[in-house]
Amino acid sequence: MNAGQASARRLAIKAGSPSADSVCFTCRLSITRRHYAQAAAAAVAEAPTSMSSTSLSSENAAPKRMFEVRTGVVLSRAPMITRDLHPFEKAFYLYQRRLNERLAMPFTKYLWYKKNTPLDRDEKKKRKERLTFAKDIGKYHAYGAEGWHDELLVGAKESEPEHQLDALLHDAELPDLDENQEGAVKHEQVQRPAPRVTEADKRNDQKSLNRLLQRTLYLLVKDQRGRWSLPEAPVDGFERLHRAAERIIVETGGLNMNTWVIGNVPVGHYAETLANPVTTNGIEKLGEKTFYMKARIFAGQANVEDSVLGVQDFCWLAKEEVQPLVSPKYWKAIHDMLADR
Amino acid sequence: MALREAVSSFRTASRAALRPLPQYHTNALAVRYNSTAALDSASEDLEPSSSFGASAPQEDLVAQFDPLSWSRGRKKQLPPSRYRYRPPKYYRGPLHPNQPPPESDPASRAFRPGPFMKTRLEQTHEATIAADYMTLVYQHYPPGTRPSKSGQRLREWVGDSPYFENRPLRAPRGGTTLSPVRKPITFRNVPRITGVTVHSFCKDGISESAYIHVASMIVQSVTNVRCQTHESRTTVQQWAYKARRTVAVKAKLDVDDAHDFLGKTIDMVMPKIKDYSGVSGTSGDSCGNISFGFTPEQVAYYPEVEAIFDQYPPQMIPGFHVTVHTSAVNDRDARLLLEAYGIPFYGKHVN
Repeated sequence: MNAGQASARRLAIKAGSPSADSVCFTCRLSITRRHYAQAAAAAVAEAPTSMSSTSLSSENAAPKRMFEVRTGVVLSRAPMITRDLHPFEKAFYLYQRRLNERLAMPFTKYLWYKKNTPLDRDEKKKRKERLTFAKDIGKYHAYGAEGWHDELLVGAKESEPEHQLDALLHDAELPDLDENQEGAVKHEQVQRPAPRVTEADKRNDQKSLNRLLQRTLYLLVKDQRGRWSLPEAPVDGFERLHRAAERIIVETGGLNMNTWVIGNVPVGHYAETLANPVTTNGIEKLGEKTFYMKARIFAGQANVEDSVLGVQDFCWLAKEEVQPLVSPKYWKAIHDMLADR
Repeated sequence: MALREAVSSFRTASRAALRPLPQYHTNALAVRYNSTAALDSASEDLEPSSSFGASAPQEDLVAQFDPLSWSRGRKKQLPPSRYRYRPPKYYRGPLHPNQPPPESDPASRAFRPGPFMKTRLEQTHEATIAADYMTLVYQHYPPGTRPSKSGQRLREWVGDSPYFENRPLRAPRGGTTLSPVRKPITFRNVPRITGVTVHSFCKDGISESAYIHVASMIVQSVTNVRCQTHESRTTVQQWAYKARRTVAVKAKLDVDDAHDFLGKTIDMVMPKIKDYSGVSGTSGDSCGNISFGFTPEQVAYYPEVEAIFDQYPPQMIPGFHVTVHTSAVNDRDARLLLEAYGIPFYGKHVN
């Protein structure tokens, strides 16, 4: 409760002074509502509630000193595939699977393979090769006398996902179901999954959204002065932040983007103070404050050819690729908003 | 006697320690059992002194390390007491010298292997959904203010009666149940899936036990969890319902199995259902657990059932109910989580 009283007192002291503008509209409403009784008892004038950062009542002769409010958009493409496993995780998971193979009840073969069918015969043959029912744990006989030998030796490939994928695909190969034809030509039943490294990765095409599928990619744009930043623009009058974010996305990258602005609250902010404040229309602009809204892109691609905001260029970057492009101060403000993965 | 034994065992141990080890033992200590692939940037979080940063063992050591051939070449097999450890069958209390190993130890009787993988759904939750969820439900408190605390929800006994002294507080007005209090969502308490219960009630199991067997096989193959069975409690003449007959099977899935099962349900089963409207918006127990059901025709879309559909007796495939347990404390939060996972909801959303 002490903190609340202190802030009410602070507000009361500041009421009427230009620096009261530093509290945002919603917060001021909430604070005045909460402490209305106390403030009334102290017979302190209420802070005017009709002020906003962009339209000011010009009661005072002195210019209003204030920051320009801007909205930025952290537009990201979420990771599309699972991450690469750490070598320890790979080894651990394979070891646990082999332990499971030792401890589990035997596989109910005749539920899954009808007896004396080509499928059954094929399965038997393949199981003879790999010694076990599990298809991707390598050659390992869990119930045998040497079942204790369940750990991998140095250089073994069984824990590698590529090796396991090959094993599964090999197992999915079926003989032709024509029973008369022994040793018929085999064909793959299952299509090989698309590679985890794409063409865009090989070309390092930073404009492509198919790059770095395991990572979150963020849209960075280059403005007319050649500076890279997240897309951002001033808030338009009484516009809400999330509406402004939707507008800025369209004005930056065009309509060919299926995006979603997440929530109505910003996830971070960046303040820049001008060395020499500029005064226009009785408002002294001290600097800029940018509030960042989070957004996701699901489909489409940015197109900055006829950008309203005058964007020159764009690219989709992972977190660590953003740092070299932006100033240290800007990086300090935004790096906590960007996900590590 | 005990002291003498201890001294003699210490002597044996110290002698063993002073004796030079056989060559293959030192090799065994130097060998790493994992892949020597180069580490990626993920290792930055780890301590620099990790064994993964160490150089690979020398090639000659690797080449001569072959435990299988050593075992085969042994003239006389070791007595089981030299390598087999059997934990005590019964727990005899904390002071007993023979303590069972922890459950995570493969030697333990209670050991269950796993986890076998990091499921895709869980990774999506960590990488995408949790952060977005936190942004979506963020509640801003201006500087100097704090969330209003809900006060004492139980009523006091007001009156002159001497029996009110030290009496437990009265139940809340309008009902005796206190619903859990929702705390502001932070990075610590973003709701997540804590488990799934799959339950299938087969009334025909009263007269024909094959229904129960088929239901049990299907639920087990779909969930990867052994089923429990439930008996009927009462007899209802009009429904031909008899007491103490097995009528239902249930599988309780822990976190890993639950994510695997949900991923399968959301990505492989729900899209196949024709004209699927989704889960009812009124579903939920008001404590963050959402239930929905599948008919026998829909259950047949699970890949494990689809693959061997002909193996099951016709007309015996059961439908089942799925209850998703989340760590959210109300249905609204739980529904938001499941929507993020891709489960569609229809109709009026009741919280």
